[in-house]
Amino acid sequence: MSQALISQVLIGVSVAAILAIAAIGLAVIFGVAGVINMAHGQFIMVGAYTAAVVGQLGGNTFIAIPVAFIVVAAVGLVVERGVIQFLYERPLETLLATWGVGIILEVVMKAIFGPELYYVGAPRVLDGGIRIIGRLPYPYYRLFLIGCAIAMIAATFWLIYRTNFGLKVRAVRRNRAMSGCLGIDTARIDMLIFMYGSGLAGIAGAILAPIKSVSTTMGFTYAVGSYMVLVLGGVGNLLGVPTGAFLIGQGETLIAYKYNAVIGELLVFIAIVIAIRIFPRGIFGYYERR
Amino acid sequence: MPDRAHSRHVRRSRLIPIWALLLGAFIVAAIGSVPYYAGNDSYVLLLLGKFLCFAIFALSIDLIWGFAGILSLGQAVYFGMGAYFVALSLKINYAMEHPTRYGSKFPDFMEWNGLKELPGFMTPLISTPVAVICALIIPTLLAFIFGVITFKRQIYGVYCAVITLAEALILQEFIIEYQAYLGGFNGITDYGNFVGAPFLWLILAISVAFFILARLITHSRIGTVLKAIRDNDVRAEFMGYNVANYRIFVFCVSAFMAATAGAMYAAWVGIVSFLDAGPLLSVEGVIWTAVGGRATLIGPFLGAFLVRGLEFVLSGSWFANYWQFFMGVLFIAVVLWIPDGLVGTIANWLRRRRRGSIAQIRAEEDRIAHDQQRDWEPAGAAKSGEEVV
Repeated sequence: MSQALISQVLIGVSVAAILAIAAIGLAVIFGVAGVINMAHGQFIMVGAYTAAVVGQLGGNTFIAIPVAFIVVAAVGLVVERGVIQFLYERPLETLLATWGVGIILEVVMKAIFGPELYYVGAPRVLDGGIRIIGRLPYPYYRLFLIGCAIAMIAATFWLIYRTNFGLKVRAVRRNRAMSGCLGIDTARIDMLIFMYGSGLAGIAGAILAPIKSVSTTMGFTYAVGSYMVLVLGGVGNLLGVPTGAFLIGQGETLIAYKYNAVIGELLVFIAIVIAIRIFPRGIFGYYERR
Repeated sequence: MPDRAHSRHVRRSRLIPIWALLLGAFIVAAIGSVPYYAGNDSYVLLLLGKFLCFAIFALSIDLIWGFAGILSLGQAVYFGMGAYFVALSLKINYAMEHPTRYGSKFPDFMEWNGLKELPGFMTPLISTPVAVICALIIPTLLAFIFGVITFKRQIYGVYCAVITLAEALILQEFIIEYQAYLGGFNGITDYGNFVGAPFLWLILAISVAFFILARLITHSRIGTVLKAIRDNDVRAEFMGYNVANYRIFVFCVSAFMAATAGAMYAAWVGIVSFLDAGPLLSVEGVIWTAVGGRATLIGPFLGAFLVRGLEFVLSGSWFANYWQFFMGVLFIAVVLWIPDGLVGTIANWLRRRRRGSIAQIRAEEDRIAHDQQRDWEPAGAAKSGEEVV
């Protein structure tokens, strides 16, 4: 029993890693840049298709990661310049417009790649697994996922809190007008941070492609999951991402082990709604003065 | 009454102006007489009833989004719950009269999924009145609980949108997972329907009733407070209004409308599926409202009919494969270029023609706003029942 429980907890950790990987791009776009991007799931989907194309050309996940970053950052650039830059004053309408962007991305990808599913293999190095407990192996790819999640969060933390660029981003987020007066090119900062967040979504797609079949509709559940992570963890602080992802991942896995996956999601959702009644801006959220 | 420019009397508008009443009566008569010249079981009739249900659904979104500033992306949860209660009840009754091939008298999809008899908790649904009451009351209760949990803690805006979206996604997955009880991926089908003149008139009557109800709410004191909350909730709170309670109230009314629309939809169309309770329908409802015109009551009706009608026309042509693409463009175009929607844009244009330059309009709006600010006046405040513009 305890063995089964421990293996469930380990699975929960990898589910949490998946959630964190999907959510970190959104944490940058939604939490740092303040844009409500409903096309986040479709950005992940574009990243996964990029990985599929790289795979067809003979590359593997390690090559797909930088390629997906560049491709999806370019998509993000187009979206930001084409749509979002006009809507910084109207956040809720950004939501609708980016939903439209998501639909368009899905249709375009379907037109290019057709309706069939694509499968991407994991790199040869990461085949197999280690036996932590009992006879069930723990796949190396799951360890890789956990490592990726930590690396992406650390890189983003470094970028936002330890570099000159991050300082400017935070300044623009806090007080756009004053930042502009002090000589920061706010439009350029908006654009770059949105591109960075989109690129992270692309990386997420490339990393997650081997664990799920690649289809045009794969992104939506990731997007909703990411938003749930941010709502629970809070958007004011990047620590909210691992915290929210860990709680949701563990909760869903343990309840799914006892009952089934949908009951797990339902109960975790109810728990989240109750949790935000206690922490209205998430566990690590800061209280904006308004 | 004397119409002096700066007099302090409250400008009252009729609940429904005469011309609108006449126009509305004409439209209602036109729709109501469709069964006579289009045949009693024609496809046009089916579409018309469907669109009316969707229009009520859009009106319910407009009521919370347009007038109270709550963007819910999970309104289809209430629509879907209403639809599923009615569909289940109809299906159970239908199955009792039409035994399946193996002679069992409970819905066929339950039999396919290995149930031996009707589950005990569904037996109350055999009675149609109970089912209808469930379909209307349970979604409203759910909305009330949801409202108490979120609005009381100042959770709204993006957070509300995201949480309601997740709610819709989970309900959809729940329906797919519990195939034995809710029909799962195939939905609930094959229980007959009510397409015909009498039920169309019922839908029409309820549409009109909800339209008038919405008009009553938005043009009463409550509506004024709701608009204040939409425009600046902090100030409304400081003025002593209980912002959360107003939000909960309008959210419940809206859920009730959506549930009624869903209940009628299920009975009219004769098929419900998980899509009728999912995020997609919720967001489509928002876009119908946005196309027609947020914060106008005609807008949702117009938007639902236009977008749905266009979808119907285009999906039969070579354009069918690109319909989704067109929807995406529509989302972006409406937000970027006509944020007030069709009705709102036309109304603004008419107002501008009537009143002249922008400066004049601003002056006029200031004056109206000045006339309407009565909260600090101890005497002379509007009595209950008086209408404010």
